[in-house]
Amino acid sequence: MSEKSSIRTRSRLRAVAGGERIHIVLLGTAGIAVLLVTLEVVSRLGLVNERFLPPFSTVVVVLGQLLADESFRADVASTLVTWAAALAVSAVVAIPLGLLLGLSDRSYRLSRTVIELVRTMPAVALVPLAILLIGQGFEMKLTLAVYAAMWPILFNSIYGARGVDPKAKEMGRSFGLSRAAIIRRISVPSAAPFIFTGVRISSSIVLIVIITVELITGGAQGLGSFIARQRALGGDISLVYAAILVTGLLGLFINSLIGVVDRRLFAWNQTKGGRR
Amino acid sequence: MTELHRSASADVRRLPRVRRVISRVLYAVGPLILLLLLWHFLASQAQSLFFPTPLAIWDNSMRLFFSGGPETAFLTTKVTTDIVQSLWRMLLGFVIGSCAGVLFGVAVGRSIALKRLSDPVVEFLRSIPATATLPLFIILLGAGDGMRVAFIAYAVLWFVLINTASGVSAIHPTVLDLGRVFRLPKWKVLVQIIVPAALPKIFAGLRIGSTVAVLSAIVSEFMLATNGIGHQLIISQAEFLMTNIWSWVVVLALVGYLINTIMEFIERRTLAWDRLVQGAS
Repeated sequence: MSEKSSIRTRSRLRAVAGGERIHIVLLGTAGIAVLLVTLEVVSRLGLVNERFLPPFSTVVVVLGQLLADESFRADVASTLVTWAAALAVSAVVAIPLGLLLGLSDRSYRLSRTVIELVRTMPAVALVPLAILLIGQGFEMKLTLAVYAAMWPILFNSIYGARGVDPKAKEMGRSFGLSRAAIIRRISVPSAAPFIFTGVRISSSIVLIVIITVELITGGAQGLGSFIARQRALGGDISLVYAAILVTGLLGLFINSLIGVVDRRLFAWNQTKGGRR
Repeated sequence: MTELHRSASADVRRLPRVRRVISRVLYAVGPLILLLLLWHFLASQAQSLFFPTPLAIWDNSMRLFFSGGPETAFLTTKVTTDIVQSLWRMLLGFVIGSCAGVLFGVAVGRSIALKRLSDPVVEFLRSIPATATLPLFIILLGAGDGMRVAFIAYAVLWFVLINTASGVSAIHPTVLDLGRVFRLPKWKVLVQIIVPAALPKIFAGLRIGSTVAVLSAIVSEFMLATNGIGHQLIISQAEFLMTNIWSWVVVLALVGYLINTIMEFIERRTLAWDRLVQGAS
């Protein structure tokens, strides 16, 4: 949802007239400026204890130092690598499964209850169980992230497969295509935008789960582990703030990445049903 | 000839009503029972410490939750302390977060200027995983219940806010003009026009918010807690109590499922007038 609206903002900027665009950019910048100035002033004036809310400028400086620090960069890289792996695995598992379940009405109805039940089970809450079953390392992180990310992709694949225009499939039959060919050349491309929406949603879920797991289990590597370590060490709070800002930046970076891929792959879908 | 469109649901629709209901129930319950049986079979074959049989989990859960004296309706302290405390935190955090979310959401949705002012900030803050801010909450607010409720409210706030703002900004201007035509006071416009018009989107936000509330409560109980479902999960993990942890996982699943069902029920009742929502459910 964050991904969609940030794309919408950018397309909206392109779509609106010059005067309105200036208005949007101006107000947006003003909003950021007001917030930053308030934070800075409130802290410097001692209105809020500096130990709890350091001035924004200090946090920025610390952020810069962190980004220059090798071990921090390694932590961030580790989180990103886990993210990519988890997304890839869940896509590989969930897309075929979803397509299969979606193409057959009977299997869809059979699987519905199970899916509805497991849906309400937040992945992160299962961390203690996962620790006992799999241990505390990379595999556990990956498994939990895959578990969490599977469902949006699964749903959207099912939804996409079920939404294929039956007339298009009939047309394929009339051209003499085999069942497999129909799936490959009509159903899959038709369902692809929906599947990709699922991947999009999952991309942010995976990040959240990974960082949360790292936070809870501590561990040696990863952005979440870094934050947990800083809190436990009881050191400078600006480090915690800076690291949290980095997670936000990471989230935005991943969103725009997915957005770029979306526009590359599905440029043909721009006009369909005003989905954008 | 039209074999292409023959589907299971088309067949079912032609059957008399009783058989339809039975069929639906079977489709819903059947896979569950099958899975349970499969689990029981595999678990008893493998005899693994890690996967107790459903029966073992049931026995343990009975012992854990229902072996209290008659004075507490046979419930144990595990229920009255841990489960109730968790539920209480979830509820409080959810209510506070939703109210704040709806309030800010309406404000942002109504005023374009406010929306454009806050958009970049909100977009960025929203990208920060709420759970990543837990250490911050601990540092700033300590390790008590107040911190937990605040944390849950913070997590819930974002989803409710975004959905409310989206719903409010999508209200057709003609509907708002009605308020002006009837010279309604501002608060009446809010309560009788804006909120009902945006209610479907608001409810979508509330539903996601309820899931987030459950999640945040559990996560907040992982660290520095003295009671709660999350706390019990961590304790069971630390002490390698395998069957215990499965019992608590089942409790968690039930809690999540119950809350989801309740929200769906409320949504369906409140939004009975909205055809779109009905069609989707």
